Amino acid sequence: MVWRPISRRTLLRGAAAGTTVGLGLPVLEAMYGPRDALADAGDAGPIFGVFFWANGTPWHAGHGSEQAAAGQPDLWTPAATGPGYAPSQLLLPLDGHQVSIATGLEPHTEIPDSPAGQGDGHMRGFMVALTADRPRSEGYDHPSHTLTALRPSLDQYVADHEDFYGGAIPRFRSLVLGVSEARFHDYGHWNAISYNGPDSTNLPVSDPGQLYELLFDVPDDAVAVSRRVNLLDAVLADANELSARLGAADKIRIEAHLDHIAEIQRRLDLSVAVCENAPTPPGTSDDLIARTQIMAELLAVGLSCGLTRVFSFMLTSPATTHVFSNLGVPDGMHKTCHDGHWDRVRAITDYQMQAFRVFLDQMAAVVDPMGNSLMQRLCIFATSEYGEGWKHGNKEHPVLFAGQACGAINPGVHERVPDGNLSMAHVTALRALGITTPSYGFNGGETTEHLAQILA
Amino acid sequence: MRRGLWTTSVGACALLAMACGGANGRDGDAGADGTTSADGGDGGDGDDADDGGEDPVGVFDPGVATLPRLTYTQYRNALQDLLGEGLPPTLVEADTNPYLFFNIGNASTTLSELGTQQYEEAADEITHFVFDDPVRRLEVVGCAPASPTDACAQGFVATFGRRAFRRPLTPTELARWQQVVVDLSDPDVWEGLRLTVAGMLQSPNFLYRVELGEPDPEDPTRRRFTAYEMASRLSFLLWNTTPDDTLLDAAEAGELLDAGSLVAHAERLLADPRARQAVQDFFAQYFDLGRLAWVSRDPVEYPEFSPTLVAAMRTEVQLLVDDFVFRRDTDVREIFGTTRTFVNDELAALYEVDAPGASPIAFVPVDLPADGPRAGLLTLGAFLTMNAHESETSPTLRGKYLRERVLCQTVPPPPPNVDTDIVPGENTGKTLRERLEQHMTDPACASCHTFIDPPGFLFESYDSLGRFRTEDGNGYPIDASGDFDGAPLAGAKDLAPLLVEHERVGLCVTTQLLRHAQGRLETEAELDILDDLDAKFAADGYRFRQLLLHLVTHEGFRYAAAPEGE
Repeated sequence: MVWRPISRRTLLRGAAAGTTVGLGLPVLEAMYGPRDALADAGDAGPIFGVFFWANGTPWHAGHGSEQAAAGQPDLWTPAATGPGYAPSQLLLPLDGHQVSIATGLEPHTEIPDSPAGQGDGHMRGFMVALTADRPRSEGYDHPSHTLTALRPSLDQYVADHEDFYGGAIPRFRSLVLGVSEARFHDYGHWNAISYNGPDSTNLPVSDPGQLYELLFDVPDDAVAVSRRVNLLDAVLADANELSARLGAADKIRIEAHLDHIAEIQRRLDLSVAVCENAPTPPGTSDDLIARTQIMAELLAVGLSCGLTRVFSFMLTSPATTHVFSNLGVPDGMHKTCHDGHWDRVRAITDYQMQAFRVFLDQMAAVVDPMGNSLMQRLCIFATSEYGEGWKHGNKEHPVLFAGQACGAINPGVHERVPDGNLSMAHVTALRALGITTPSYGFNGGETTEHLAQILA
Repeated sequence: MRRGLWTTSVGACALLAMACGGANGRDGDAGADGTTSADGGDGGDGDDADDGGEDPVGVFDPGVATLPRLTYTQYRNALQDLLGEGLPPTLVEADTNPYLFFNIGNASTTLSELGTQQYEEAADEITHFVFDDPVRRLEVVGCAPASPTDACAQGFVATFGRRAFRRPLTPTELARWQQVVVDLSDPDVWEGLRLTVAGMLQSPNFLYRVELGEPDPEDPTRRRFTAYEMASRLSFLLWNTTPDDTLLDAAEAGELLDAGSLVAHAERLLADPRARQAVQDFFAQYFDLGRLAWVSRDPVEYPEFSPTLVAAMRTEVQLLVDDFVFRRDTDVREIFGTTRTFVNDELAALYEVDAPGASPIAFVPVDLPADGPRAGLLTLGAFLTMNAHESETSPTLRGKYLRERVLCQTVPPPPPNVDTDIVPGENTGKTLRERLEQHMTDPACASCHTFIDPPGFLFESYDSLGRFRTEDGNGYPIDASGDFDGAPLAGAKDLAPLLVEHERVGLCVTTQLLRHAQGRLETEAELDILDDLDAKFAADGYRFRQLLLHLVTHEGFRYAAAPEGE
């Protein structure tokens, strides 16, 4: 379960029993760590990120017999395994970033019979890739594409794990970013890859201006900020009283809201600490790669300032309907996959890898005074929603690792695990981040194994 | 303990998912003549939904209450009602719409941390906007406070709190928020009041619709919504905003607990322009018009395409809804067969109709030609465009919309490992129809596609932008013949009269409205409530305003099951 430091709420619950709650409750250093935690967090420790792109890779024989019948070559899997592999055609854009790749992985989670449709390649695929678990059966409704996660996505699991931040929690436990706003469905789970648990999504910030304000345009009036912090005590007291009247399901929602308010109090208290390297306010772009560059540059500065050590970055959303008209593709990507346009999917996948390259370039460009780039601290788990989108095949689920996680990830390795459990990727990331992980994965997806050649 | 939405939804889905072709197993239960109604309605034609008489209670099994967070529109409307017009825009977490409705999403999902931060920042920004303006702040507060403890400042906490929380503050709350004024009036009392308002705007008592009910005096095993909660339920359903002082005063006077009082107040609300907006908001979600915002088309293939054209398609539906519900107050099912619509110049060109007076911003009523290709909502731009792909139409999407949205039928999912591939259209020597017909001959696909596609083919005469056509993009002649539940039809225009008379259309409107109003799917026990409402709807000629009046007075809307575990 989610670990939190001593919460203000815990303290307030006692106080709320009275008729009034004392305002001006001091923000205790014991609760949040020393005031210079922000600076400390920026100096060391691995940074975890999830990079997600839509609709997998172009299909080939490795995805199944039907895909084999199409007779298309495998442009994804490098020919050689082990360190120093020569990149495949679709990995060429990433050349120079020493990306490690795992192939052969697939979801091992069970597929309950009822309600029907839980084997859907998208929904099973992105849930397992992001949470190491299947979608929740309760409420799953394939015809309306309604689904939710059973547990937090990996970014949130890391951000809330006591092994990761310990007492030095930065201003943001995590940042949730995105680029393309094209959507397969208005329902939230199709537009987010970061979840806190069932029916609790973190929608990405995909506007550069909004991200800039979030990271760098912080209030500078400490007195005014302290009033806002104190005011939230009364809000918390209201929420506590309401929570006590609710049934179980709504209580969970209000308790989460309470936790968020306490987190906002903590964040406000840290907000007057500015990022010295704050860039100038950015422009924006409708071009996917140009916007990726803008967003990644802002993120890289934020990471170097220690504003967070966890992020997710959704280049395109699951089953994206993004129209890659710049590549001469007339329809949305999801339909393009369904229609079996292999050449177009190849071109789009290549383009999405170029975008990932631009993202990594921004990370590599940030170098500390010791000469170390952010890539040395980063552990980026890059993945998609299934192996391929024509048949929505879950075999050969794409998994990449970028960055060296402070030496815990071996760079430039191709590890092949035929029919391997996709949760091995999660175990690898968690162990690389120093999080005690006897096993990970759920409902058939459990494994104790990591990717032995990729984890140092 | 009370369970979440999805517990009930599983039950409802299991019940509704009878078979591809078989609707939901209740065909014929609720005939248009209303004969299955508990009281049959009165068949009159006036605004006499309830006669002011008291419906019997204890007849139905209401479902559990929900705790919806305000939708974006409700939040902004409430801010405006509390603090005046012209407030600056602020970021708020996007609504989500499982089963079409924001109220369902906001009653079942959890606010994110960023969303919480956005509420905090919005409250700070908006209250600065209000209280930095000496004229505006005086209007909001209603008096000039001299000190944090004077009658003006302390009284404001009670009056503003009642409006923000939609009920009087409890003594504990009043003391808490009055203390906020005292503690935070630095440098002056206005700042204390500003922060108090900012705090209340972040309180869950404002951000959520707390309608939990109280033990029903007649039957303590279930809940009756309190008078204040009924004020909120009326107001959010009919105005999409927080109740006004008249409603709150009525609640304080003990009204809103009987059908007569509810009808009187509902009539007042329905006469207000805000009701027209609220009804639009419901229909926009029901018809899923939000998807139009994401439509794009290749400018070479579709030179007529523009963002303004798509906006006009949406406006056209809004004008039709307003015409049927408010201007003419007539059988709302006829929207599916209408030969009269509203167009601006772009839509007139798309439909190839004369529309004198139409301009980019002026919509004019037009009669669709009797010998033309269009009749009914499903032959108009919004439906045809949002249910098509960029480069070709989608009989499947169109048929699915008809089944799920218009008829509330359940399309089952494809079997596991089904081949969902459609052979690409280029150079295959086949029309889309011929390619899709493979689905109907493949046993794995046939069960569902024979349900979806035949009515979907009826719309093949309209391309991805709703343009009428006689051949497809590859030069093949269009065959728009199809089949609707065994009735062979030549095209979508022939479908229109069948929909207008279809027994499921009225029931579907009722079902969607109940979901929207309750913020969840119906429970199995509530199917009786749907049948009863549908019968009353039928007896009143399927006039949507009457349905609203029947709903707000219905036992199913005024009572709730006790939370599980009680």
